Amino acid sequence: MTERTRVNFWRLAILVVTVGLWEGLTHPAVTKRVSRVVYFVDPFFISRPSAIWTRFWYLNSSAVRVPLWQLLISTLESTALGFAVGVATGFAAGLILGRNDRLALILGPYIVAVNSLPRIALVPLVTMIFGFGIVAKVVLAWLIVFFIVFFNTFQGARGVDPDVIHSARFLGASERQVMRTVVIPSALAWTFASLTPSVSFALIGVVIGEFIGGESGGGIGYLIIASLGTLNAADMMVALIVLAVMGIVLAIGIRQVEARLLRWRPEYQARA
Amino acid sequence: MSRVRVEVRELTKTFLTGGREVAAVTAVSFDVRDKEFVALVGPSGCGKSTVLNMIAGLVPPTAGEIRLDGRPAAGVLPQVGYVFQKDTVFPWRTVHRNIGLGLEYRRLPRAERENRVREAVRLVGLEGFEEAFPATLSGGMRQRVALMRTLIVDPEILLMDEPFGALDTHTKLRLQAKLLELWFAKRQTVVFVTHDLAEAITLSDRVIVMTSRPGRVKLIHEVKLPRPRDVIRIRETDEYAREFSTLWHVLGEEFAKAEAVG
Repeated sequence: MTERTRVNFWRLAILVVTVGLWEGLTHPAVTKRVSRVVYFVDPFFISRPSAIWTRFWYLNSSAVRVPLWQLLISTLESTALGFAVGVATGFAAGLILGRNDRLALILGPYIVAVNSLPRIALVPLVTMIFGFGIVAKVVLAWLIVFFIVFFNTFQGARGVDPDVIHSARFLGASERQVMRTVVIPSALAWTFASLTPSVSFALIGVVIGEFIGGESGGGIGYLIIASLGTLNAADMMVALIVLAVMGIVLAIGIRQVEARLLRWRPEYQARA
Repeated sequence: MSRVRVEVRELTKTFLTGGREVAAVTAVSFDVRDKEFVALVGPSGCGKSTVLNMIAGLVPPTAGEIRLDGRPAAGVLPQVGYVFQKDTVFPWRTVHRNIGLGLEYRRLPRAERENRVREAVRLVGLEGFEEAFPATLSGGMRQRVALMRTLIVDPEILLMDEPFGALDTHTKLRLQAKLLELWFAKRQTVVFVTHDLAEAITLSDRVIVMTSRPGRVKLIHEVKLPRPRDVIRIRETDEYAREFSTLWHVLGEEFAKAEAVG
């Protein structure tokens, strides 16, 4: 058995055992001669895999007004937009302040102040301004992603080896060429380190927005909050699992882009 | 006598460390003539790299004057090339794209760039590594990339700060031979900083010996060895042995002083 198959075997084993235990423990423990059903673990709270599976297909069917896949697309759309806008603005701001000491010094306290606000405290304000739709969700995601990407890029842009910049100048580089050929590639490594957590945080912003937004906002977050209203654990589990899978897929996607753009880094170099 | 390209006059540099002014170099003066290869040697901490960095325009002098081609030096100049001891090859660019940097900055047409880079790669024997990233190369190969990256834009004045200082003896000798060969073909005006006396004698026309901190010029010595030189064979000659022994006694005193202080 190669190392890879061994790892995959144990991954699968953990999944099978967890799902098996979950299913087994949430079935009635004693079935005869009792007036009420007794469980090891009450499925009212955590449902059970078979019920989740059934609900998954039901929620995707035409029996519900807004099928699950549409909710997923709505969440995905807001997350991608918030992420993209957050990364673009955070990267640009990080580069500008990273290469401009005075501006960084002037704005420093304000950035720290805004960043130290818990994002969730801004949710009511954002809702007040942008309403319950997709814009509010995107803004919430952006607010979180921006600062993570900004701080990382800022560090990266400041940390560029001055001798590397000098060597570019000796070769005749203009300010813009230094930025394009030295500062940006050098800062990118730092920026990428922030992207995987940024996706999760974008998702947090969006889901919170959907909690508040209700039906008009839609999305997986709405499914969660609606399931709370009907005390439906199975639907909630469906929503959570869909979110988890979405998170994994997005993280893998970013990893691919990173491996491509940072292929010069030793950890991405295939060694002969 | 050919014209003077680099004039260093009464150059002084003091640094502020912990509220105290510390003199790194005091009243250093020397000239470098056109097509001349000058080595600046001295014990570590004697300020030889500081002198080079002042000539390069990286460090402003506290007092004194530097003239390049008769004009006061101000900042980084286009006719000056600089090779750092530290690895400053861009890790995010392949060998090919590193060597072509200066041509890219000058917006040369792609076809011409390709030709010149190919020639440069051939000159330092890096064929087959054009598409490799620096992380996969040895220190010697990276320094060859750094050297060609600087030489490809044809600098007339070449400043080198212990470029082979971090390499093992074998690699160092091979790169010295390569440098001599390339220099002999183009005859740039070179200021080469090193603490390795053998390297200084092997490569240069004149050796400027600096004292231990604060650095002053102790001796300017003409190396009377014929060119072209073979970096290995030259070390086996009596002339070389005499040059070495003369300079070694002068430099040895300074090394001893530097040790006593530091």
